[in-house]
Amino acid sequence: MKKRKKASPSASRRARGGPVSGPSKEPSTLRLPAECTVSGAAALKEQLAGLIDDPLSVTLDITSLQRIDTAALQVITAFVRERAGQGRPLEWHGSQPVLTTAAQLLGLTSLLKLPA
Amino acid sequence: MTIDLTQFHDAFFEESFEALDSMEAALLKLDIGAPDKELINTIFRVAHSIKGGSATFGFSDIASFTHSLETLLDELRSGAMQVTLAMSDLLLKSVDVMRAMLRAVQQKQPIDAQRVSDLQFDLELMIVQKNATPTTVAPPAAEEPTQPATASAAATSEPATEPAQEPPRWEISFRPYPELFARGNDPLRMMRELAELGQLDSTVDVGGLPPFAELNPQTCHLAWNLVLSGHVSEASIRQVFEWAEGDCELRIRLTNPPPTALVTPEPKAVTATEPEATAATEPAQVAAIPTPTAPAAPPAAVVPASAPVPVAAVPAASAAKADAPIPAAADSGSIRVSVEKIDELMNTVGELVITQAMLSQLGSKLEGPTAEKLRAGLAQLERNMRELQESVMRVRMLPINVVFSRFPRMVRDLAQRLGKQIELKLTGEQTELDKTVLEKIGDPLVHLVRNSIDHGIEAPQVRTAAGKPAAGTVHLDACHRGGNIAVEVSDDGGGLDKNRILAKARERGLVNPNDVLTDEQIYELIFLPGFSTAEKTTDLSGRGVGMDVVRRNIKELGGKIELRSEAGKGSKTIITLPLTLAIVDGQSVAVGSETYIVPLISIVESMQLKSANVSRLSGRGEVFSFRGYYLPIVRLYEVFGVQPRTKVLEEGLVVVAEGEGHQRVGLFVDDLLGQQQVVIKSLEANYGHVEGVSGATILGDGSVALILDVPGMIRTLSVRSAA
Repeated sequence: MKKRKKASPSASRRARGGPVSGPSKEPSTLRLPAECTVSGAAALKEQLAGLIDDPLSVTLDITSLQRIDTAALQVITAFVRERAGQGRPLEWHGSQPVLTTAAQLLGLTSLLKLPA
Repeated sequence: MTIDLTQFHDAFFEESFEALDSMEAALLKLDIGAPDKELINTIFRVAHSIKGGSATFGFSDIASFTHSLETLLDELRSGAMQVTLAMSDLLLKSVDVMRAMLRAVQQKQPIDAQRVSDLQFDLELMIVQKNATPTTVAPPAAEEPTQPATASAAATSEPATEPAQEPPRWEISFRPYPELFARGNDPLRMMRELAELGQLDSTVDVGGLPPFAELNPQTCHLAWNLVLSGHVSEASIRQVFEWAEGDCELRIRLTNPPPTALVTPEPKAVTATEPEATAATEPAQVAAIPTPTAPAAPPAAVVPASAPVPVAAVPAASAAKADAPIPAAADSGSIRVSVEKIDELMNTVGELVITQAMLSQLGSKLEGPTAEKLRAGLAQLERNMRELQESVMRVRMLPINVVFSRFPRMVRDLAQRLGKQIELKLTGEQTELDKTVLEKIGDPLVHLVRNSIDHGIEAPQVRTAAGKPAAGTVHLDACHRGGNIAVEVSDDGGGLDKNRILAKARERGLVNPNDVLTDEQIYELIFLPGFSTAEKTTDLSGRGVGMDVVRRNIKELGGKIELRSEAGKGSKTIITLPLTLAIVDGQSVAVGSETYIVPLISIVESMQLKSANVSRLSGRGEVFSFRGYYLPIVRLYEVFGVQPRTKVLEEGLVVVAEGEGHQRVGLFVDDLLGQQQVVIKSLEANYGHVEGVSGATILGDGSVALILDVPGMIRTLSVRSAA
């Protein structure tokens, strides 16, 4: 997997156009941008909406993630909850203390099904 | 759809600047050695909210700086550090730096990183130094008054050692309103801050979270039930949620000991205080044991809300609930409106006044049965118009405190630099003035106060030698005086040195060596351009670009400036200003078919001349005798080139008008028409500057009348006669 450059404040905007999702027949991966915040929450939702009904496993890649806020986490939570409700698999790729801490502080760890 | 956080920037900057002003004011009030806890809390809150806001908006430099500042303030707040002069200086500098940073960010300019990091280093150094010298740490007893969190530990350890080992446990119900995100608030930031206060256990409520497809990413659907354990006061918890006030429902209650402990109370705890009581019959008593944990906390938090005492728990919860919306309701008591909107309103009202005057004039000419009714209606209209006009004008009024508030800091800094002791007295700060006037009065006042400190107040040893207190007093006062505002700057310094002023003026050739001047005339010299008597030029004053500019600024506002002084006792400058620049009280006078407005503030009196009183001076025109003085006669028809009704002085009237520094003239007019308030229309904006005319107005019949600028007119005339 390609390494991304260090995140800049406008990373979230740039990431808008480019979800790293594979062809429809293979398991999809969405790489979360470095900045997952309220200003990019709508774009994030759009990207996730494309994957919500994907019968195959969806992977959320958090290796680039550097900052996340409640609004973005709320979108991801709704996504994860819905996939889980439909019995569709979801995986996390990478580990980021930013996400772990945020989920813990907001009491979302179990809902997000984050790896322990 | 994305949220553009920049739309909240303006509000953030505005609030932050205001907050910094109050922080500065609080810092100046802070007594070295024995600081008021409430003031420290105010200062801390400002730093805290600016930190929070800048973090939210991604102004990381400001956030980082305020974080260091906050750390230092926290040490002060907890009593671990004492306020010293050095620290108070450092904190004031921090206010300046924060202001500069905010301004830079607001104007999208680079931040002076060197200055910021230097000061940040100093702040951090001070914290480190404190840790290195533990002797400065205050005893915990000193913290009691406003430190319920730490004080509680000390208090509880005495009556019952057992429960004291368990830190207070707060239950926080945080239910954001949907628009929380849109207001720039992030619950995550709040949780992070709470986690810094103690052990945080967070449970999310996703009951409100809609299915993914229906989710609005900018709306907050989540809510939280939090448990925070630690020696924390309710106030500090509320502070975390300060920025979300009004955007969430917040309930905080103390649940100590946890309900489980109540069900099986420890016999030891009961017997320690109430040997007779049994746990079963006296659950309230058991609950009461830990109450000393919150002696200083707000009443709502004192109740150890728990299941066995529902009566007590309910008011606690409802009080907490009632608490949150109050600031929001108080906020809605005022709104921010742009000045342009008010100016527009003002302008429209001005037009209405003109239309109303026009109708009244028409109505007065009508006859017939309906005319009377019409006139009654018009009279009513006129009354309402006046009320409307006054209301709109009041909207523009601000207390002069807006300007005064900058002086405590300035005086303190100047006094320090000049090695003088100065006490600043402010009175009448609530006197209201038009915003435009207020904006323009600031610089002249700064100049006058600087002059007082630099030239007026003597050095402490000089003062003591003269039998005066070592500390000099500078007094700023504002009050309403006859439809005007009077602002006075006075000091108890050495007063003006008449001989030095006169000598200087003679040296510069401003005064004839043989002229004998009255005190007033000597003081007048100070207002001449390029005049300064300062022995040595400091960077504060003495460059001679002072009082003439001050006077010009005041004149431009339609005001007057006057100086009074007594050698050895001090001096006083009195500035008289109109309440507003939009409307002037005027006397309308007729010259031929034209009408002119003479501002009432310029008029001394009006009279009919007798030929016996008039004399003709060769080369200097006509003069008339007025109370022992000879005043020049200005025939307005000549000045404006109109055909008058009469050219004979006895047939017309003379309006005695005063310009700068008691210079008076007699304006010869055909007739006086009446006094009225007129709405000033700028001549410069619509035509061009005309010497001797300050503006124009539209009269009831739709015709235009010029408003005379008497000081300007006198200036032109004296130039003409001198030539």
